[in-house]
Amino acid sequence: MIIDFNLIAEYFPVLLQGLIVTLQIAGISCCIGFILGTILALMQTSKNPLLQIFVTGYVIIIRGTPMLIQIFTAYFLLPQLGIHIPALWTAIIAIGLNSAAYISQIIKSGISSIGRGQFEAAKVLGFSTQDTIRFIILPQALRTALPALGNEFVTLIKDSSLASLIGVAELTKQGNFIKSKTFDAITVYFAIAVLYLILTSTISFLVARLEKRMNIHAQD
Amino acid sequence: MLKIKHLNKSFHTKKILNDISLTVQKGKIALFLGSSGVGKSTLLRILNNLETINSGTIELDGAPLDLNTINTTHTVGMVFQHFNLFDHLTVEQNITLPLERVLKKTPTEAQAIAHNLLQRYGLLEQKNKYALQLSGGQKQRLAIARALVMQPKIICLDEPTSALDPVLTSYVANNIQQLANDGYIVLVATHDTDLLKKLDCTVYLMSEGSIIETAQSQELRNNPDAFPRIKRFIAGDE
Repeated sequence: MIIDFNLIAEYFPVLLQGLIVTLQIAGISCCIGFILGTILALMQTSKNPLLQIFVTGYVIIIRGTPMLIQIFTAYFLLPQLGIHIPALWTAIIAIGLNSAAYISQIIKSGISSIGRGQFEAAKVLGFSTQDTIRFIILPQALRTALPALGNEFVTLIKDSSLASLIGVAELTKQGNFIKSKTFDAITVYFAIAVLYLILTSTISFLVARLEKRMNIHAQD
Repeated sequence: MLKIKHLNKSFHTKKILNDISLTVQKGKIALFLGSSGVGKSTLLRILNNLETINSGTIELDGAPLDLNTINTTHTVGMVFQHFNLFDHLTVEQNITLPLERVLKKTPTEAQAIAHNLLQRYGLLEQKNKYALQLSGGQKQRLAIARALVMQPKIICLDEPTSALDPVLTSYVANNIQQLANDGYIVLVATHDTDLLKKLDCTVYLMSEGSIIETAQSQELRNNPDAFPRIKRFIAGDE
């Protein structure tokens, strides 16, 4: 048989260690991306042209360069700036900042899809701008953006494997380590692929459940 | 008493409102009648600080009305043509959210106020439904209840029957009449001539931004020939 399940069982604790690190990278990057992405989206939809230009520039730079280059840049640049942090955190920050650019555009589309009438109703009732955004616009924008956000989170999990290239012992890196010891690349990459698939499928399933729950009140 | 004097509004070179002057007493209804684009909705939007004016003054009970602060003083309430309810919130939350966030009521106080308002408008059984799940008539009532929650002195209704089944027009007319009976100054913009037949109001026929004829609804019903422009509009000739 091509796949050696005994080998997978033997090295499963090592893969599990990598999986935990992958979850750390994905989870924290996701939070950074979501919070920063929301702030960037609000800046871009504000009436301040300077904020709009800043966000547009940020998005052009992040979307126009490979994530691997961004990770390497962070990895080599931060020490030059006197910032010495573990490679794990360098990867988390780089992936989070990258994700923020994409998430900002998803949330911006969600905000744009909210009709002018919602802003006007809030204004007439005397809501402050902050409360209008927090209680009326963002909840509706996020509901609209949820499918695209789910896709972005799945992409983020897969992109976390790039952290292996700066030495972070996440799932892919641990797989490479096992492969170099056992020389059974097919078994190792099969096991890694299955674990990534379980992670991404779980996220897709949870997002679909959330989407259904949020849309349930749209059904008569 | 609401007094509007020489109100003018232009978009670039196009005159939207041309020297509008009128007075509406407390507990009375002013109904602005006219085709689409004659400026009647713009007038209501100006009173809610959703549009600016070029010139003119507005007074309420003898004091000038500052349109810039009108949303924070809650002097005017608005029922929008398409209701603009918060569809992601329940019926009850549509009422309690402005109470809690704007008027700083406690959740218990807000729920008590919402309970009374929803009961009055026959929506108590729907309180846990989302606004999106309501029928047109229910949405209309919720929109009125939401406008009333801020305790304004003036209520504006923009095309209140346009999104409704014709059967519901009488029901809506009763609701509007009740607002006036409760002491609100009620301003209605409509092109629905059925509505004016059911209200005790002052009718202002508008054309190209100007009020071209005014009539008391009772006089109009008794002697339509005395108001030829309104009569022609009702007949569909204007």
